[in-house]
Amino acid sequence: MRVDDELLSRLEKLSMLKIDESERTECIEQLDKIVSFVQNLSSLDTDGVDEVFAMNQSATALRLDEPRSSSDIADDILKNAPLSEDSFFIVPKIIE
Amino acid sequence: MFETVIGLEVHTQLNTQTKLFCSCATSFDQRANLNTCPVCLALPGALPRFNRSVLHKAVSFGTAVDATINRVSHFDRKSYFYPDSPSAYQITQLYTPIVEHGRLEIEPKDADSKIIRINRAHIEADAGKNIHDDSRSKVDLNRAGTPLLEIVSEPDMRSTEEVTLYLKKLHSIVRYLDISDANMQEGSFRVDVNVSIRPKGDDKLYTRVEIKNINSFKFITKAIEIEVERQIDAWEDGVYDEVIVQETRLFDQAAQVTRSMRGKEDSADYRYFLEPDLLKVVVDDEMYESAIEIPELPDAKRARFIDELGLSPYDASVLTSDLYMANYFESMVEDGAGAKMSCVWLSVELQGRLDSSLEESLVDAPKLALLVKRIEDKTISAKAAKEVLDHLCSSKIGVDEAIDKLGLKQISDSSAIEAIVNDVLSANQDKVEQYRAGKDKLFGFFVGQVMKASKGSANPQSVNEILKREL
Repeated sequence: MRVDDELLSRLEKLSMLKIDESERTECIEQLDKIVSFVQNLSSLDTDGVDEVFAMNQSATALRLDEPRSSSDIADDILKNAPLSEDSFFIVPKIIE
Repeated sequence: MFETVIGLEVHTQLNTQTKLFCSCATSFDQRANLNTCPVCLALPGALPRFNRSVLHKAVSFGTAVDATINRVSHFDRKSYFYPDSPSAYQITQLYTPIVEHGRLEIEPKDADSKIIRINRAHIEADAGKNIHDDSRSKVDLNRAGTPLLEIVSEPDMRSTEEVTLYLKKLHSIVRYLDISDANMQEGSFRVDVNVSIRPKGDDKLYTRVEIKNINSFKFITKAIEIEVERQIDAWEDGVYDEVIVQETRLFDQAAQVTRSMRGKEDSADYRYFLEPDLLKVVVDDEMYESAIEIPELPDAKRARFIDELGLSPYDASVLTSDLYMANYFESMVEDGAGAKMSCVWLSVELQGRLDSSLEESLVDAPKLALLVKRIEDKTISAKAAKEVLDHLCSSKIGVDEAIDKLGLKQISDSSAIEAIVNDVLSANQDKVEQYRAGKDKLFGFFVGQVMKASKGSANPQSVNEILKREL
């Protein structure tokens, strides 16, 4: 797979990121290298390997349904948010 | 002629104590963002831990709809950006859901019964809530990460009647299982509708349109009718292919139209992949055995009410549509009140007097049962019982106490009635003679006089008998 300008535009949209005009060429080159590197995996024979194969075959641990909470955590996190008010996070207006 | 093809997706919020993947409490009417933690706020490094109770409830649901329970299922990651989802992805089950291939039986008016297939039910995490101001949005993540069971039907419904029957049945099953509060207005039972049309006789499925944002049975029916009309108009105008596209539309109650949610189509690339932060989900034998032990469901209860208690199918449906009401009724019968009388006094008389829910009524099942028994043992007449019930609904008073207080105890003792009858007859000798001379209409007059003299407390049946005898 080749990474080109069109694909980069699509990735920008999906990731909600804006790549500056001056960085596009470099970014495309780097993404291309990463994809090529990952493509090494395609040389492996995966016939007979389950599509949900995981290194750890045990089941996910189950947690008891018992509430635990501490308002300190929420307060700390809110304090570190760029904008908050009445314990809400404030974000730019979302247009539906 | 066109046929409407409808499939439903129902998101029901599971009534667990804690969220799907963290120990934050699932209560919302508290200050914003109080029930949050590094996991549900998706801080780097925080890992999800799956709530055992969610799995248990999902397996119970699958059992209730005769579905296949996947003893091994998986979580998948669905990526999308929105401020109500701090992780920018939702953990859901796309490829192997916990529940598949279920069925639910409904009974439309003009058919015996119909099976609506359930494609799947999968576990997923809910998002938070946004409040939009003029210039900014406020984000509350108390709901972020609460567990949902999304129940997806096959496109098997053909009318709004079938849709309503399916939803009501599904709703009562969920309530009977006690896996969700299933409150539509509060958003713990959310319905998305997929609608398409086709010429009658055609087997093909045409373009389906999804309608979101409908929060009552009434609006669901309305939204479907309006959307179907839009699709038929487009077909008949020859612009179906251009106008009807696969998209999500919102139902606008005020304007009575469905509107396209702009721009969603081209960005909708969810890049699903196996959730890397969680291992496979396994329902072990112990959990399975416990979760498939489910309580009696509405259909079974209804059948029992008809067969064992002799109720009509209609009455049985009314009583079993709501678990609280069904339990209330059963408790009355256990207290010794007759089934048919209990049904009438609960579903007609008491319900008709309630301003709020049955749960909040001052008249509980033992009280109403006693009232019914007082009618059955002829202590009071049915008419007097209505007065007593009025009283019971407005004050915390016992049944017998209320009967005494209102002086409504019925006189069934025939010697007491005879005495009153004789008094009335001797005071109205002239009318007695007219009656005996053939003026039959006067019988009503005597009954009225006796009832008046007894202040309405004489048993009317006894009065009739004694009057006939004495005249």
